Amino acid sequence: MKKSHILAILIVAVAIGFLISASSDVTTYANFEQAAKTGDRVKLVGQLVKEFPVEYDPEKNPNLMAFQLRDDKGQVRRVVLRATKPQDFERSEQIVLTGSMNGDTFEASDMLLKCPSKYKDQEIYIRSEQG
Amino acid sequence: MEYIGEHLLPGQIGHFCVVLSFVAALFSTLSFFLATNQRHTDATDGWRNLGRLGYLVHGVATLGVIASLFYILTGKMYEYQYAWANVSDDLPVQYVFSAFWKEQQGSFLLWSFWHIVLGSVLIFRAGKWETPVLTVIALAETVIASMILGLYFGDFRLGVTPFELLRDTMEAPIFQQADYLAKVKGNGLNPLLQNYWMTIHPPTLFLGFASTIVPFAFAIAGLWLREHKEWLNPALKWALFCGAILGTGILMGGVWAYEALSFAGYWAWDPVENSSLVPWLILVAGIHTNLVAKATGYSIKSTYFFYLGSFLFILYSTYLTRSGILGDSSVHSFTAMGLGFQLQLFIGSFALMAAILYFSRSKGIPTIEQEEKVSSREFWMFMGALVLLLSSLIMTDGTSFPVWNKLSVAMGLDKINIPGDNFLSNFVRTRLSGQLAVANPVQYHNGQQMWIAVLMACFTALAQWLRYNEKNWSIWSKKVGVQMGIAAVLGGILTYLNSRWIHLSSDWRMWVLLFTAMFTIVSNGSYIVTFAKGNIKMAASAVSHLGFGLLLWGIMSTGLNKEWISSNNFAMEGLVEGMEGEMLNKNVLLMRDAAMPIKDNYDATYLKDTLERQTRSFTVNFKKRDENGNYTGENFTLTPNVMYDRQFTKVVASNPSTQHYWNYDIFTHVSSLPKAELDPEFAKQQEDSLKYATYMARVGDTIFTKENYIVVEDITKTPKHPDYKSQKGDLAYGIKMKAYSLEDRRGYALEPMMYLRPEDGAFTLTSTVPQLEIKSKLSDKGMEKVFQTEEALQFSPFVVKRGDEFTFNGFKVRFADISANDVQLNTYLAEEGDVTASASLMVVGPNGAQYAAHPLYLIRGNQPFSLKDEIPKEGLYFSIQKIDPANGTVTIGAAQATEEQRSIPVEIAENAGRSDYIVLEAIIFPGIKLVWIGSILMLIGLAISFWRRSTMKGKLD
Repeated sequence: MKKSHILAILIVAVAIGFLISASSDVTTYANFEQAAKTGDRVKLVGQLVKEFPVEYDPEKNPNLMAFQLRDDKGQVRRVVLRATKPQDFERSEQIVLTGSMNGDTFEASDMLLKCPSKYKDQEIYIRSEQG
Repeated sequence: MEYIGEHLLPGQIGHFCVVLSFVAALFSTLSFFLATNQRHTDATDGWRNLGRLGYLVHGVATLGVIASLFYILTGKMYEYQYAWANVSDDLPVQYVFSAFWKEQQGSFLLWSFWHIVLGSVLIFRAGKWETPVLTVIALAETVIASMILGLYFGDFRLGVTPFELLRDTMEAPIFQQADYLAKVKGNGLNPLLQNYWMTIHPPTLFLGFASTIVPFAFAIAGLWLREHKEWLNPALKWALFCGAILGTGILMGGVWAYEALSFAGYWAWDPVENSSLVPWLILVAGIHTNLVAKATGYSIKSTYFFYLGSFLFILYSTYLTRSGILGDSSVHSFTAMGLGFQLQLFIGSFALMAAILYFSRSKGIPTIEQEEKVSSREFWMFMGALVLLLSSLIMTDGTSFPVWNKLSVAMGLDKINIPGDNFLSNFVRTRLSGQLAVANPVQYHNGQQMWIAVLMACFTALAQWLRYNEKNWSIWSKKVGVQMGIAAVLGGILTYLNSRWIHLSSDWRMWVLLFTAMFTIVSNGSYIVTFAKGNIKMAASAVSHLGFGLLLWGIMSTGLNKEWISSNNFAMEGLVEGMEGEMLNKNVLLMRDAAMPIKDNYDATYLKDTLERQTRSFTVNFKKRDENGNYTGENFTLTPNVMYDRQFTKVVASNPSTQHYWNYDIFTHVSSLPKAELDPEFAKQQEDSLKYATYMARVGDTIFTKENYIVVEDITKTPKHPDYKSQKGDLAYGIKMKAYSLEDRRGYALEPMMYLRPEDGAFTLTSTVPQLEIKSKLSDKGMEKVFQTEEALQFSPFVVKRGDEFTFNGFKVRFADISANDVQLNTYLAEEGDVTASASLMVVGPNGAQYAAHPLYLIRGNQPFSLKDEIPKEGLYFSIQKIDPANGTVTIGAAQATEEQRSIPVEIAENAGRSDYIVLEAIIFPGIKLVWIGSILMLIGLAISFWRRSTMKGKLD
């Protein structure tokens, strides 16, 4: 067997090793029900339920926020995130969370917001003095 | 309908140029193709000239497109959607560039522009390679031009034109008015992008992107002409150029993120970052095998493979970032424009072209039967290239999860039932689920790329000392052995010394990584000093590899020693339910003017905030204490800021402010604000819900409110306020007060004001005492009173000479002096040509109180004016009514306002709540300079190599 073949096999083996060793950081998208069933760390996509107030009081704790989220199955659960409330949070149209269920609460370690882009909200600003 | 005021011509010219540019590029491609295929016949020159002509027309037309779009943007022609969405009347000129390449069409044009520049250079310099290389570049230009064509074929739209009219892109009632344009104003550029990085980063990065096509095109040309060795020389030169530029572009992105965005870091393994790094890594792998191929004849096939791959991964990166497929896995937001299919076609056709050509020619590519010796440089360089490939494949996999998910679902793989609950079946099930996601990208990629870094560091330390085609290993091995020994020993010592600084804890992997970094730093440093003897031309590769070692060192020191100092465990303890773990305390709340002890013995004090245009800056002072609690003298002030959108309806960006030291940085940004500051609508509601009580204020009075008392010190027409910048023509007044609570005997300044600005309107500026939760404002009733009272005053005339004294309402007034220059009236604004006379009056009240007044007589443009001076405390007014130089007398007018006239209404609310705080995140980045120095050295190494190979004697082009 040639050296290069041995090397190629080695490298493939190392690559597989990498992928497997990193598999603890790989997760799947899930909804509240699935997350509660497995208890695993998952990615969860949903929308802010705007009827409920967002709990964030920086005077008490700037590193804690909580809100109600509706997942793609329509289930609503309380979400707790240990971070500051992002600007523009209330306007988000989609929220992607990383975290796991703890009882009835989803504890998130990471959050990503999708906010409406200018293309979608087709408002036209009118010059007020000429309108 | 005939619309009024639209400029349709620039759009029509632009659109014509787009079509012309597309057709000319296509024509040029075909001509260069035929010129290449008929290179052995007489027809080749004719075709080549046609190809050049086509490329020239394409270049001119593309410049025409760019010029038209710039004309539309700088002219703020909002009839075009592109201008409406991206610029506004108040956008500073330098940011028109940012607006230009912010959208996909603009960045395609930027990419195309660089291809045109590079293609033109190649037409002049590439010699016999011109026609095949230009065939490839012109083909890419054809495809890119098609992206902005905006032509419909039935329902299929080819490309999206930047010249779309606003009224064609949306339906709104406003477009039923012929003069709609007069009422439309631009959206403006996202304040986040109004940043000088946004003007320099994209052009650099796109030059890097664009230049990857040159090694690709040379590779295609080499295969096409079956000249598998000759192409290696010019390709290497261009690959080095591309490596340096693309690397600079990527580095700039990191510096931008660190310096100007609130990411709190320089690299986040974001898909957008990864997908620009992958082509660079593959290109660097190609540079290494290219060097091997030139020196030894090994690795020609892999050089083809890498150079072809580098450009294909550029296309893949374009697909990832522009098709919208990344969706929710990237912080960079990209608008999908329906170009997904066209982009897939772009990658597919180029990949197919490369693959067909490669496999049909691979038999003829020269290879060497005998394998590389393990003791040779070429063996380890090839190994390094393989590891770089491995790195980029793993990185691509981790970045492409959204693509895999889509494929999995499209092919029905997610429906396959995989039995078993062992590691392997779980792994496969997750992979095929169509729901694959990375939980923590930073941890995920760091964990894998760390081992790549270890291997790379070892290889670069060793290979530098080895020789191509090693024949005398038995002799040479001694030298290498000595060098490796020195590097291992010194590297070990340095690792130990560093471990006293860098928090390696007991993680053996970190020890290994640090040791390999030190190993390569010592080995390459030693190579530069002892072997290359400081001859930097000889040592270009060692400079790059030294840079890599320093970069690793910097990554470890910033990554492992990064520390959130914005925490205050003591102050937070017990306050908050569910709060645990030090890592969670990344933010600290700072009340204005109250020093807050934070970690590492800093005292942080939020001093003030100032508003300028859409930016609110917060001044925060830091003082360091030593272990005994004494100030060390380290004292600095940072001003992080937030930016509001143009309508002041929300905060759109939080910009950091960083204190730089030679060995570490302190990075701060405002991570949250009181709701009233974040959301002006809420602030308005809050303001409306406050219960203001109106009090009559007279200078010297004390106002007793429910819980506090307030002393009125002065009523002034030249008020000061942090948010007020006085302008000529303003009519302003303010009340200076001091507020005291019954417990707190400290007086807090309370100074509301109001002003009228011609053409702008009336503005009320409130004043607050957060400590007492008092808020106060003035009304226009007071405005009327302050200014109308004066109209209603009855002045009594007194004719006096210098030194005379007269009595008015019990006040003794002495006319001390009159002077032409010594003007003391502060409401007077001097103008060129004014002739002034200022009187000095000494006033003594019935109770013995003494005052001075300085009324002014003024001749401006042949018109006489009399400017009064006042003593607010007594409601006294004095003016100069007449000056009689013949008799040496002056007529002084004196008047006194009634008690009622002197009382000005002031509105005061108590229990107003506090909103004078910020939530701050502060992070120490130790050794961040190592990251910059290391990265820059890597690029300098590439640049030196490029320079050396471009100036070397002999035929390179």
